Amino acid sequence: MAAFLLRRLLQTVPILLAVALIIFILFSVIPGTFASSMSDDGRSVIDVQVMERMNKEFGFNDPVYVRFGKYVAQLVQLDLGTSFRTRQPVTKVLAERMWPTLLLTFASMLFSIVVGVPLGFIAALRPGSWVDTVSMVGAVSGLSLPKFWLGLLMMYLFALVLGWLPSFGYGDGSLRYLVLPSIALGVAPMALLARTTRAAVLEIMNADFVRTARAKGMSERKVVQWHLTRNALVIVLTTIGLQFGTVIGQAVVIEKLFSWPGLGSLLVDSVTLRDIPVVQGAILLIVLSFLVINTLVDVLCALIDPRIKYT
Amino acid sequence: MKIRANLLIGGILFATVVVAGLLAPLLAHTDPVMDANLMYAEEPPGAEFWFGTDAQGRDIYSRVLHGARISLTVGIVSQLINTIIGVCLGLSAGYWGGWWDDFVSGLTNLMLAIPSLIFALAIMAILNPGLTSLLIALGLTNWSFTCRLARASTLSLKSQGYVQAAKVLGYSDIRIMLTQLLPNMLGPIIVIGTLGMGGAVLAEASLSFLGLGIRPPYPSWGSMLSDARDQITTAPWISIFPGLAIFVTVLGLNLLGDGLRDILDPQSRTRRI
Amino acid sequence: MLKRLLITTAIALAIGGVAEAQTPRKGGTIRFTAPYGSSFANLDIHTSNRAQDEIWAKAIHRSLYNWDAAAGKPVLELAKSVEASGDGLTYTFKLRDDAYFHNGRKLSADDIIWTYNHLMDGGKAYPGARYVRMIKGAVDVEKGQAKTISGLRKIDDNTFEMTLTERIDPGFYFWTATTSIYPAGESQNEAFASNPIGLGPYKLAEYVPGSRLVAERWDKFYNTGKPYADKVAIMIMGEASARDVAFRNKEIDASILGPAQYVAYKNDPELSKGLLEVAEVYTRVMGMNPEFKPFADKRVRQAINYAIDADLIIKRLVKDKAYRATSWLPPTSPGFDKSVKPYPYDPEKAKKLLAEAGYPNGFEFEWTATSNESWGIPIAEAVIPMLEKVGIKAKIKPVEGSVLSEVVRKGEYQAFLWSLSTGPDPQAALKCFHSKTPQTACNYTLFKNEEVDKLLDEAGSTNDATKKVENLTKVNNIVFDEAPYWFFNYNKAVMAHQPWLKGLQPNATELAIQNFEEMWVDESSPAAK
Repeated sequence: MAAFLLRRLLQTVPILLAVALIIFILFSVIPGTFASSMSDDGRSVIDVQVMERMNKEFGFNDPVYVRFGKYVAQLVQLDLGTSFRTRQPVTKVLAERMWPTLLLTFASMLFSIVVGVPLGFIAALRPGSWVDTVSMVGAVSGLSLPKFWLGLLMMYLFALVLGWLPSFGYGDGSLRYLVLPSIALGVAPMALLARTTRAAVLEIMNADFVRTARAKGMSERKVVQWHLTRNALVIVLTTIGLQFGTVIGQAVVIEKLFSWPGLGSLLVDSVTLRDIPVVQGAILLIVLSFLVINTLVDVLCALIDPRIKYT
Repeated sequence: MKIRANLLIGGILFATVVVAGLLAPLLAHTDPVMDANLMYAEEPPGAEFWFGTDAQGRDIYSRVLHGARISLTVGIVSQLINTIIGVCLGLSAGYWGGWWDDFVSGLTNLMLAIPSLIFALAIMAILNPGLTSLLIALGLTNWSFTCRLARASTLSLKSQGYVQAAKVLGYSDIRIMLTQLLPNMLGPIIVIGTLGMGGAVLAEASLSFLGLGIRPPYPSWGSMLSDARDQITTAPWISIFPGLAIFVTVLGLNLLGDGLRDILDPQSRTRRI
Repeated sequence: MLKRLLITTAIALAIGGVAEAQTPRKGGTIRFTAPYGSSFANLDIHTSNRAQDEIWAKAIHRSLYNWDAAAGKPVLELAKSVEASGDGLTYTFKLRDDAYFHNGRKLSADDIIWTYNHLMDGGKAYPGARYVRMIKGAVDVEKGQAKTISGLRKIDDNTFEMTLTERIDPGFYFWTATTSIYPAGESQNEAFASNPIGLGPYKLAEYVPGSRLVAERWDKFYNTGKPYADKVAIMIMGEASARDVAFRNKEIDASILGPAQYVAYKNDPELSKGLLEVAEVYTRVMGMNPEFKPFADKRVRQAINYAIDADLIIKRLVKDKAYRATSWLPPTSPGFDKSVKPYPYDPEKAKKLLAEAGYPNGFEFEWTATSNESWGIPIAEAVIPMLEKVGIKAKIKPVEGSVLSEVVRKGEYQAFLWSLSTGPDPQAALKCFHSKTPQTACNYTLFKNEEVDKLLDEAGSTNDATKKVENLTKVNNIVFDEAPYWFFNYNKAVMAHQPWLKGLQPNATELAIQNFEEMWVDESSPAAK
């Protein structure tokens, strides 16, 4: 196990470097610069001398490979550079926005697990019945709507028409503000989890060792509890880990819609405004979280099912 | 019982959309781009304009029909690109193993770690929004699952008897991969393909919301939906019909994919409960 | 149209006037919104010239001048009086003696001189440098050849002298938030970046990046009795549809409206009572690059102006949330000539002009535009069928905002669609048409006209205000005739406000930017405590 963890840790480094390189290259060929984005609303003219000073301040006068070299050197010292827009260290900018996104992501994953997994279980225990059909069609519907539309409809219904919940923002951090965005974000992974759980449970129910247990006379209930849960859990956990990356990506849309001050909306803004250090930093952070979560998931799976051994 | 229902409903929905798209020039009432008459802006659905008109005075019915072509193109072409890349990399990685496998696995992990929407966003920003850019962006960012699947299938099929036999008979590697291995993993790959098509259509809508989707003259459902979000209280029909169209298409694709998986997956064939 | 405009402006002023007539109530929280994006740049207003940032800056900072929305011109803010020298180049300012920074320190001439020097700091790029550069000696500091600006001289703690390089009205240059006065030497501190010290009516209480900024009353603000409200909470909400829901749900007190909501609110009996409409100083235009052969001919450019039914687009697409443009300068500008008529919709005349110019069968061009709903691709989409009718085929090239800004300044376009600031200073706005102004500055269409150059130079060197306005009006009319742009419309900004929010000002430079000390909430607000 320790060796496995170590290997995973070592693998993280080249992945992060590769991501950094890809993003760096992508953004050095992108048209539009931070300086030009400052006058994109036509409100004021950016004058030439200010632009030149900006280029000097941001280091654009160096050739690409020199800039990348400097960037990597900074990365090694865990310094992500300075944001063009805020003139603050990128680490500070990211730290301010990380918690809301983590909160949102975990809340939606929680919602998707709490609703999706039992739904999948119920459907699998009575396959072919109307319970199965209804829950699966319902689940699939959840995957068939664009998130911002669903979010907007929910906002309209629950905030305006029913008045149960606030319609936007982070508020004072209380849970009421979290409900709508996390459900809007969580509907799709919930559907996916429901279907995956159903498939996993069904597959295992018909597997040899379960039939053996049944043949040996183990009670139905015990069969379900013992074998099913453990094996299904492994598959479900792996799916959760993989979904995590998707959810973080989709969070971008929800954050923008609900004025949720997270990493996602920061990322979109920074791309639009060409605040390259923040874009690079945010993407690296997201990738790192994804890798960490997946490693945790793998470890959990190994703990649950001793047959899984990592070399 | 249920398995057939999946396939049936999904198939019908998807087929309807395909037919609508193919026959769009015949079924549509107006040209979706040029026939804009501001005098008829934001008319509710009625006898002349079945789905109403949008803010520019264009017939939404015609635009939804033509939009089917765009969305299907987005779904099919981008998924095709995904599948080709994924299968090529996964098959070869599983078959040859060694450093190539390590490289491909590392690359796949990398692609899985970067959220695809964000990667697509970056690519769209570079290439300037448009249909081709969208196809490239979606095609390059969603092949990881297919690759993993192809690799896993190859690894388990590699040791089968008929593959060994082919090797002994002196078939070339490429021939073995294409004729022996590929046909046997088509099932799950098609399933992922159909599900991916649905995802591509939704991704297009999200990118439009973020400002980097397909722009005129193409009437894409995603941009129609996104553009109309401010009018959701004043002229809801402008967003309802494209939204419904997306819903029906993606639902159909998902049900179809589920149905295909249920028949093609050998283990579940025994599950006729 | 003009009558409508005058009536609307009168109503807007009247609303402001009526509001003042009631007695302002002290207390409560103003729940304002910043609608132009999903974040603020940072808490150092010198670094950003975006309207979004100026919204919060108005609560916490002040500049030498401020914009008087009712009078439509800049007025002294931090100074009690100003005297201009005979040659119009040197201004002597007497500062007010009751202005205190949020850390308790009194304002002195040192702070102003330090701030302007700081803006010229060659190492960092501050947009405000553009304005300070008008002071003699500023360029030397920028280039690193001098330590301080020679044109700024302290006479005593409350008096200083500013010598300019050109005859301009300093009010138009030193009222924006990018020239906000900071306490001398303090902004170097780490703490200043998260806790800005300013001279404004409110001081910073809370900042959640990407979400909101809350400021609380500064008791030592120099306008006694103001500010009225205890707190200002500025919510960052870039999505119009989300703002709509929040406003109807009474979670926010004010919201800038887009065309779709404008229609909905106008038709609602309750909501229509709380609409503030102002003609802003932005002109929406289609720029035509003379280096693209067809656009080099004045007849082609005029033909395009005749071929497009702008009134129809304004009525149907923009939902009357704009005024038809009849020149470069907006109607509130001194150089605006009421007698000039807009180009009428006349496709036949357009075809005739095109034929004369040698394009009887029209031509094709590429149109660069962003996805902005008021001056972007939707407008282009509406125009294209109209141009098609006279034989001109246009193909849209969609780009992001930063890319538009870049390609237009580099001249890498055939035609573009944009909203450009054309005020409040008519001289600065028309200077864009001087042949010496580079394309990278604001002469985007490489305009060159001897008469215009002569008139502008005269206006720049004269002290006679009437002659200035006369020349500028002539220039404005020549530009309209030469048609380097298709003149589309002037923006009508609309802000919806709850009935309990009073004291909003009809700020024509940017309606979303408000002086918070003039506003108050009455008891019916959910945030009245």
